[in-house]
Amino acid sequence: MASGVTVSTESKTAFDEVKKAKKFRYIIYYIKDEKTIDVEAKGERDTTYENFLSTLDQYKTECRYCVFDFPVSVAVEGSEKKPDMTVDRLVLMSWCPDSSPVKQKMLYSSSFDALKKALVGVYKYIQACDFEEVAEEAINESLKKGGK
Amino acid sequence: MSGGVYGGDEVGALVFDVGHYSFRAGYAGEDSPKAEIPTMVGVVEEHLDAMDVDGGSQLRDITTQKKYMIDTTSIHVARKGMEMTSFLKDGMIEDWDIFEKMMDYVFTRHIRSAPHEHPVLMSEAPWNVRGKRERLTELMFEKYNIPAFFLVKNAVLAAFANGRSTGIIVDSGASQTSAVPVHDGYVLTQAIVKSPLAGDFITMQCKQYLEDQEIEIIPAYMIAGKVVTLTYFGYFFLLQGIIQDFQSSVLQISDSPYDKETVENMPTVHYELPHGYNLDFSSERFQIPEALFDPSNIKGVPGTTMMGAAQVVTTSVGMCDIDVRPSLYGSVIVTGGNSLLTGFTDRLNRDLSAKTPPVSYISNMMTGILASLGTFQQMWISKQEYDEGGKSQVERKCP
Repeated sequence: MASGVTVSTESKTAFDEVKKAKKFRYIIYYIKDEKTIDVEAKGERDTTYENFLSTLDQYKTECRYCVFDFPVSVAVEGSEKKPDMTVDRLVLMSWCPDSSPVKQKMLYSSSFDALKKALVGVYKYIQACDFEEVAEEAINESLKKGGK
Repeated sequence: MSGGVYGGDEVGALVFDVGHYSFRAGYAGEDSPKAEIPTMVGVVEEHLDAMDVDGGSQLRDITTQKKYMIDTTSIHVARKGMEMTSFLKDGMIEDWDIFEKMMDYVFTRHIRSAPHEHPVLMSEAPWNVRGKRERLTELMFEKYNIPAFFLVKNAVLAAFANGRSTGIIVDSGASQTSAVPVHDGYVLTQAIVKSPLAGDFITMQCKQYLEDQEIEIIPAYMIAGKVVTLTYFGYFFLLQGIIQDFQSSVLQISDSPYDKETVENMPTVHYELPHGYNLDFSSERFQIPEALFDPSNIKGVPGTTMMGAAQVVTTSVGMCDIDVRPSLYGSVIVTGGNSLLTGFTDRLNRDLSAKTPPVSYISNMMTGILASLGTFQQMWISKQEYDEGGKSQVERKCP
């Protein structure tokens, strides 16, 4: 089931800028004219997840998609002495707060699949409806679990 | 995409949502349906004496003609010999004659617009079979001559309306409670679990209880003094209406497994039946719906193997791939009329002890929004495509 919404080239370029060039920390996407998924904002590389959440706070009644290059510490296998290393994991989330209009929820959730297909190399997909689900702990928790 | 794509400027699509209790119809993008009519249809068999008068030989030809009573007002009239039937069985269309009558009625009386001017979007049960989908597509294009058609599974719509493309949809309606896993907007058909413990079952339990208490339920037509002999189903239908009101105003589901002592401390609810009999209900109002979650204490059915609502969910999730299970448990979406019983979601949440609270949701009418999206137009099966590819297009275009 898809809605027929497409992903713009800029969206893909911006994603590559995060993935390969590591130019930005996060991207916020929106659906333009109910037709294409486009970039709305990009976050500087030094932005923390907390900063990002406060940005997201503005979208209490609006749906968005977000990509965040999430830093995680991973234990180095084979040597217990070495400290944990930090890896950046790309997280793609759909943000559909409960207070947003149903039409938007419908539009964003039915088009999420298109974005998933367009952005290759995402480590984890997250669908969030409230701040509890995008909290740092919740993301960490889900990154530990297997699967996408 | 090919040239057969439907692309009108103005969408103006019609939306039909079929349920065991009611049939909803309306325009896409509007907040509420234009019509909500009971799915139950009254059938009266009339004997017609057709006489052939010309010519000397008088031929007496007795034929029976079926008359269908559709919509709230006409089915609530007590009529002699009226049988109550439904065109649905197990969420799928079974009786196509009645279904056609129903569609005719909706088009002429509620939509009041020519069918060939509007594309149609219909919801269907997630377990609908190929033969029925094709037959429906055929009917819509051939009989009503609609310009475009689309079929969506109602579970997918419930998920989208809650802003999720992955989740498990717990649909507790009139005829059954089902758990349908949806992943990326597609139904995982092999993992659907259904249970007959739903609204109609609770109605039967209430009826049983009231009979045991020797509380008589008198449908309105019996009070007027006008005696009409009804068939069993006709009588039962009217009775059902009264019990359903009782059901929605009195019953409540306790937060924790039913315990007589705790429940007796809860406030009682006062209820007055239409003929004036009134009573306070205390522990019974918890005991009856308890069967939805704990089928082991159903009256009269010892040692039942049926599954409670939470078990339906866990079984369904257990049948899915291990990778998707966490995301399913993370988004439990509750829909269907029966889930409106006080305490239903709280209890389900407790029984599942899921981290994310279930989102409660009522109507499937949100279908309309999908149809009103401009981009969605390219998804429709257009008349042209149907003419070229036939009814099997439905399997190709509507997953």
